[in-house]
Amino acid sequence: MYAPLERGPIGRVLSGIASLGKGLWITLAYMFRKPITVQYPEQRVVLPLRFRGRLVMPVDPEKGTNRCTACMRCVNICPNHSIDIEKQTGPDGAPLPKPAKYLYNLGTCMFCNLCVEVCPFFALVMSDEHELATTDRGGFVRDLAAEKYRLTGKKASWWQRKFRGSDSGE
Amino acid sequence: MGHFLYDLFYRTDVLLDAWRTAAHQSWAMRGWPVVILDVLFQLGWAAAAAVFLAVNALFIIWFERKLAARIQIRRGPNRVGPWGILQTLADTGKMLIKEDIIPDAADRGVFKAAPLMVLASTFLLFVVLPFGRGLVPADLNVGLLYFLAIGGLSVIGILAGGWASNNKYSLMGGMRSAAQIVSYEVPAVLTVLSIALLAGSLKLGDIVRAQPAFGYILLQPVGFLLFLTASNAEINRGPFDLPESDSELVSGFVTEYSAMRFAIFFLAEYTNLFLAGAFAATLFLGGWRGPLLPPVAWFLIKSYFVVFLLIWIRWTFPRLRVDHLMAFSWKVLLPLALANLFITAVLVKVL
Repeated sequence: MYAPLERGPIGRVLSGIASLGKGLWITLAYMFRKPITVQYPEQRVVLPLRFRGRLVMPVDPEKGTNRCTACMRCVNICPNHSIDIEKQTGPDGAPLPKPAKYLYNLGTCMFCNLCVEVCPFFALVMSDEHELATTDRGGFVRDLAAEKYRLTGKKASWWQRKFRGSDSGE
Repeated sequence: MGHFLYDLFYRTDVLLDAWRTAAHQSWAMRGWPVVILDVLFQLGWAAAAAVFLAVNALFIIWFERKLAARIQIRRGPNRVGPWGILQTLADTGKMLIKEDIIPDAADRGVFKAAPLMVLASTFLLFVVLPFGRGLVPADLNVGLLYFLAIGGLSVIGILAGGWASNNKYSLMGGMRSAAQIVSYEVPAVLTVLSIALLAGSLKLGDIVRAQPAFGYILLQPVGFLLFLTASNAEINRGPFDLPESDSELVSGFVTEYSAMRFAIFFLAEYTNLFLAGAFAATLFLGGWRGPLLPPVAWFLIKSYFVVFLLIWIRWTFPRLRVDHLMAFSWKVLLPLALANLFITAVLVKVL
């Protein structure tokens, strides 16, 4: 609390001293609070549903494979060129709407979520994985198609709910 | 045996005197000069003080970090040893193996001497500090004067460090510290004078004995607050940490110091914190006197209680602006201390 000017000199001094006591009282009360520290490696917080960890291409349990059609939209929208797709080719050499390789470069990704938003088939999800350190740069580039990532828990049902309705029209 | 233990804790002065007399007699019987024995005794006291200084710093740094953490609802150090109590030891080990950097343009001699000067002035204060009955290296007749004089000496080391670093921030920190210590010495002296008036002595042992059971704090409540504020400013802490205000001066006079030289400054700072608490306890809270527990225990409890107060204050209040700092000392503390001294003097004369 500030010392208002209307109070006169003595009143201001007294309210100033009172405000010092008030500050001390607050810190004293805080001393007896439970610390809010999360002892990280041993304790972990529950991550929010929309937490943006590393990009994954989960396996759709109904199809048994990923939902990607190699439409290249994610490649085009990525601001950092973190995604590269090699399409599968048929026996006649023509490209098929399936990724042979889906190369995701974690080192340049800035977790903007644009690829997830632009994907018309809900093939991509930002996972909960956030402990992503590697000892060499090669470890940053991962083939998401070959990975066959399985989403679990709340995030899986949240993701599946997105396309359950849209599939029936196909 | 029980008798000896009782003496060891409660009548330390008797035990020490008996031991010293016996040692003197046997020394004199062999025809050796007694001066050497006296010097040995002094060295013993110095060693004890040095050990206490180190252990105290280890504890008090951990204590402050823990308390600061609690105030900020954190946990504080909790990895090294139980409750993180060995954290300071680990930090000391780190300090010891760090590179000792002296800037090219620094005044090497002064730069090296500065931390030692600060530490020496701190160390010298232990001479008059009564830890318990008879547990004082030398209870000087002018103990209070000695405390004020030597306590003000640390400014030389700080100023020397700031000057020798040849760095703007260091110099400004040193200058601020000099101005601050000189300014706050005045109200501190005036407050302590009223204690001397009440006790009728400058000897710290006499001051402790002259106090009523509850200490001088009830007779001198304003004096206690003034002394706490002034000594808090003199040890460059709390809301008065302008000499090393991180947000303005990087680190003030310790900016260019690293490794063990920095650690020595740090050690001196935290020993000064304890000494501020210890002298406040001795002058206002009845020193080592108290019921049941041994004098040393009472002394430590009271000292660390004042240390707790100082830490609490430091982590509560924001830093003063530099002109406010000077104005606060000369316009607020000095008149208050003078009025306090005047009232005390009149009351002592009348009653």
